[in-house]
Amino acid sequence: MQSQHASNRIAAYSTPVILSGLLLGLVVLVALFGDKALARTAAETLVRVVLVVSLWIFVGNSGVISFGHAGYMAIGAYCSAWLTLKPQSKALFLPDLPDWLMQAQWPVFPAAIAGGVLAAFIALVSGAAILRLSGIAASIATFAFLAIVNTVYSNWEGVTGATSSVVGLPRYVDQWVALGWAVAAILAANLYANSASGLALRATREDEVAARASGIDMYRHRLLSLVISGFFTGVSGALLGHSIGVLNPDSFYLGITFISLAMLVVGGIGSLSGAVMGVLLLSLLIELLVRAEQGVAIGATHFAIPSGSQEILIGIAMILVLIVRPNGLTAGKEFKLKPQWLRQSRMYGAKSTN
Amino acid sequence: MTNFAQLFFDATSLGGLYAMAALGIALIFGVMNLVNFAHGEYIAFCVFALIVPSTDAVAVMFLGHAPALILIPVILALGGLVAVASEYAVFRHLRRADPVAMMIASFALGFVIRNALLAAYGGRPKAISLWPGLNMPVNIAGASVPLLQLIVIVTTLLVVTGLALLLKRTRIGLEMRAAAENFTMARLLGVRANRVITGAFALSGALAAAVALIMVTQTGVADVKMGGQIMLVAFIATVLGGLGSLPGAVAAGFLVGIVSVVLQAWLPLEARPFRDAFLYTLVIVCLLLRPQGLFVPASAKPRV
Amino acid sequence: MKRLALASAFAALAWPAMAEDITIGFAIAKSGWMEAYDTPAATAAKIRIYEINANGGLLGRQIKWVEADTKTDRQQSAKAGLQVIDEGADMMIVSCDYDFGAPAALSAEAEGMVSFFLCAEDVKAGIQGVGPHSFSGSVLAAVQGATMAEWSHARRGARTGYVLLDTTIEYNKGICSGFDWMFPRIDGTEIVGRDTFKNDDASIASQITRIKALPDEPDVIMLCSYIPGAASAVRQIRAAGINSLILNGSAVDGSYWLDATPDLSGFAVPVQGSIYGDDPRPEVEAFNQSYEKATGARPASSYAYPGYVLLDLWAKAVERAGSLDGASVTAELERMQGEPTAFGPRTFTADLHHQNFAEMQIVEITNGKPAVADNWTISQPVPLDVLLK
Repeated sequence: MQSQHASNRIAAYSTPVILSGLLLGLVVLVALFGDKALARTAAETLVRVVLVVSLWIFVGNSGVISFGHAGYMAIGAYCSAWLTLKPQSKALFLPDLPDWLMQAQWPVFPAAIAGGVLAAFIALVSGAAILRLSGIAASIATFAFLAIVNTVYSNWEGVTGATSSVVGLPRYVDQWVALGWAVAAILAANLYANSASGLALRATREDEVAARASGIDMYRHRLLSLVISGFFTGVSGALLGHSIGVLNPDSFYLGITFISLAMLVVGGIGSLSGAVMGVLLLSLLIELLVRAEQGVAIGATHFAIPSGSQEILIGIAMILVLIVRPNGLTAGKEFKLKPQWLRQSRMYGAKSTN
Repeated sequence: MTNFAQLFFDATSLGGLYAMAALGIALIFGVMNLVNFAHGEYIAFCVFALIVPSTDAVAVMFLGHAPALILIPVILALGGLVAVASEYAVFRHLRRADPVAMMIASFALGFVIRNALLAAYGGRPKAISLWPGLNMPVNIAGASVPLLQLIVIVTTLLVVTGLALLLKRTRIGLEMRAAAENFTMARLLGVRANRVITGAFALSGALAAAVALIMVTQTGVADVKMGGQIMLVAFIATVLGGLGSLPGAVAAGFLVGIVSVVLQAWLPLEARPFRDAFLYTLVIVCLLLRPQGLFVPASAKPRV
Repeated sequence: MKRLALASAFAALAWPAMAEDITIGFAIAKSGWMEAYDTPAATAAKIRIYEINANGGLLGRQIKWVEADTKTDRQQSAKAGLQVIDEGADMMIVSCDYDFGAPAALSAEAEGMVSFFLCAEDVKAGIQGVGPHSFSGSVLAAVQGATMAEWSHARRGARTGYVLLDTTIEYNKGICSGFDWMFPRIDGTEIVGRDTFKNDDASIASQITRIKALPDEPDVIMLCSYIPGAASAVRQIRAAGINSLILNGSAVDGSYWLDATPDLSGFAVPVQGSIYGDDPRPEVEAFNQSYEKATGARPASSYAYPGYVLLDLWAKAVERAGSLDGASVTAELERMQGEPTAFGPRTFTADLHHQNFAEMQIVEITNGKPAVADNWTISQPVPLDVLLK
């Protein structure tokens, strides 16, 4: 039995390797064959991978739907902007920043980490209150949190610039930077999911009462997963900001909340592979439809679908996937090596799923 | 200081609007655990049904031409029809799915409806002059109130009473209440699921249409985004009131509207833009104090 | 649009052997809600391209254009910018709104390419928010607010003003900051109150109650908002029996929303030119007619005009610089002081690629009919610190 357990564990750790390999392969392909616009699409998709994987760390393990993650993104993005912008431009556009922050001019990498840390800290504080709730009440509370963050950031003139965009962020996020963070997020997600806390949390997701009866402190595990999730969500916000170059609270509101949840659910909320595949497949489909809107030349004729049909078709595609596969494309399964292969014995060929 | 009667009318008319929207969301949640994010788009759809589809800037009245006596039932029926059609096309196939998958599907459906409206009508908001006479101010108890505000308050009361009677006195109402209470058990006892669900969607769509008519009369504009904000407030009110509790949804809808108006009236100018932050902080506090909802007896905590 | 496309296709066919064409990249919204604002201005720019091509082109070369859809999305905007660069754009035209245009404009800036916002009215749409090669074709929001402040005092005797600000977008704040700067500078005026709302508020009843609680109805209400919120606010203000003169920015120009408040009177906005056929300058009406010929309808609002103006100015700068190089064209643009255009003189400086001073036509709505009532140029330019506030 010991060997089965060990090989199951190794198999579980093969998931991030497979997923990272997949992402690396895509980036290399784009670097070899794509143009500037395609490279940008790759970077954008990988930033979404960071976001959806971080969302999965909390939602996938706890089973609580969070509408609040765009709020953590905003917090991370603005924090990174405060630290990296030139002091002159901060003095002009964000005059109420405290002096030490006004003078700060950090390199981009520590600034992204700081964005993540601040988001994780806010996740700890907000989660401490919100996670006392469960089920739909918790979800609504996360939404209220998002609305609060959005209202505050949209009106705090001297510190966030309110509805006026924060400008001049260095646009350093290319596909390689985004790939690095995506791999880091996937590794962290896998490590957490296979840790004692992650397993305990998933037990509460399956059966809250039984898990509680087994002595699992649901509140503590939820809070821990939200903090880890908040860190990477904050980083994804920083990456998004440094890829667009301009920050506005509006970028971190309902639009991104829903599209990230949709990617997670379409891919399969039950597994890390589902989170990654949801992003890749929906992003690919969107890109194909956008190209179809621009038109493709087949022979001498030019075919194009009408502008605006991309949004309609992507919505229909999401509905169809959910009807055909209500548990998402991966239906909760992970991509991983089969434990049997690792054990070279088919005696305990139990199929393992998460 | 602001006239108290004026404040009362401002608050109850906004609260009434929220209450009606919350009722529409709660009805569907009750029978199939679906948080219907497409509800806001039902509202927008009903508004746009008043005008001829065209991307021109000037709106030409279509259904809006009809006299009120015909227009109101037609729009209500249309709202019901859209909701029933969406149930038939989408949610019926998701009955056994997880509530999260249904919720995302409803969001995707809303996205499709919104973009279809954008494609048919263009992105520029349109103006609609529906019953401008209703915006005439009337003097009551020292307050000057647009006639429409009174109508909203009276309509909310009528709709809620009507719905209460329907739920209490008719067979379909009984079935709906049973289904809202415990859907599986109700089915086992012979409640016809399809009929109940279709009924709930029809009523919910009609409520969206009523909200649409009130909003368009009040604001005079049609915009694809117009249902979004009210839907979110209604969604919050539904949870605050206690999920599955229809009177709770109505009461919480009123409460959110009233608090919002009171905050707008009493906050100092510098804090007024932060109105919604205060409102949502109160929402979290309420949830923490009464996780099962404000208007549900504490004994309603689910047992294992 | 079809006719325009045909015309240019014809033009391109007619001179096949000419030197290499000049390419203008449009990274604009062709779907989503911004489309309604971008398309008219982009059409106006194309009308100017057609005129230039018909007169022998620019630097002896024909102008053609490539387009990419930003889908009213910031990420897509950045990609659209890169896409038109990949397709060989020599100059880039981006979305009307700063937020949706900037990601594309930043890509142009990174290449040292000149970019123009179609009709952005935020000071950031230029040097301050993109970089030294970025311009806007429109007039700053604060100028519009300041124009209304000075005009309403001089021509309508306004002494008391009430400021009702929709905090949803930056444009609104720009309008109100211009009004707030100008109105109190005038002798004998007073801002008697202010309030805020949000564009999608279902009702602004409590804001109206506050206005009604004032001892005297204010002479003017400076409403800083856009459609649909502005139309809804006007309807509710008039429904409450408040008859003050209501002022707004150019964003609510156009008669298409007037059904929201039938028989509206006492509502005034500043515009760059009149779409109603009564502009005192014949060039404006001539443009309206070419627009109608190209699209089958007259412009729905004055937001088409900046597209025509920006292309006109850029082409002049290219002609003077004798090249398409970003730095030399920028230098020529910055030399323009009161450069005449069909819609009034335009000025760019090394500090500001925007109009902080402009002649505006005042369109007033009376009994539901909009018409040019006056024109007004503010007595002094809006200073940079007010714009950046």
